[in-house]
Amino acid sequence: MIEHPVAQAAVQLILLALVSLLIPASYRVIVGPTLPDRLQAVDLITTLLIGIIVMLALVEGTENFVDMAIALAAFAFIGTISIARYISEGRVF
Amino acid sequence: MLLELLGVAALLFGLFFCAVGVLGVIRMPDSLTRLHASGKVATLGLFGILLGAALLMPSTWLRLLALGLFVLLTTPVATHAIAASVYRRREIVEELAEGGAPAEASGFTTVDVTSVLSRSHIQDIIKAQERALRHHAPEAKSSSDK
Repeated sequence: MIEHPVAQAAVQLILLALVSLLIPASYRVIVGPTLPDRLQAVDLITTLLIGIIVMLALVEGTENFVDMAIALAAFAFIGTISIARYISEGRVF
Repeated sequence: MLLELLGVAALLFGLFFCAVGVLGVIRMPDSLTRLHASGKVATLGLFGILLGAALLMPSTWLRLLALGLFVLLTTPVATHAIAASVYRRREIVEELAEGGAPAEASGFTTVDVTSVLSRSHIQDIIKAQERALRHHAPEAKSSSDK
């Protein structure tokens, strides 16, 4: 896929940096003072995970990983909406 | 060669905005300002990564475009839902501080049972979280002074 060795190394380093961004993002999940803060941090982590899956597809050269990212985006949207509704209304349905 | 250079540049652009968004989510003082910072990750950061991936792997540009359109449609809705939950919690806290008692004290008049249950449930959650917030407040103030 990517022929140039410098480009390959750059893509792998960017993937490593994105994965290491998950650790400071989970700080807000653990110590976030209120419930919406934690929900928002989980939403941020799923957004980072979509980027990580796309980068993994680049590194491995596997195109089908992008479909996995689409499925993750759909399920993350449903989960965020339902938990936000639970926080504001006290019930989901 | 040029395509790879442009792709890596777009990936670095996306990585920069992801890092800035995560830093903002850690450092910002309020939950609404934190929401503003995390919105940058979803738009600029993820779109930079998708553009870089489409330049580096041109055969998947259609799927990446579909993913980008889906994220572009769903992220504002999710962010709006989180912001509305923050705002409604704040409204309930102010209402309780003004002495507006929830409908539990109104006896046998027509009361919506589900609203009473959810309101008392929300009240318990808010009390516990206010206790936790009072517990955490001095640490937060001293860390922001540094």
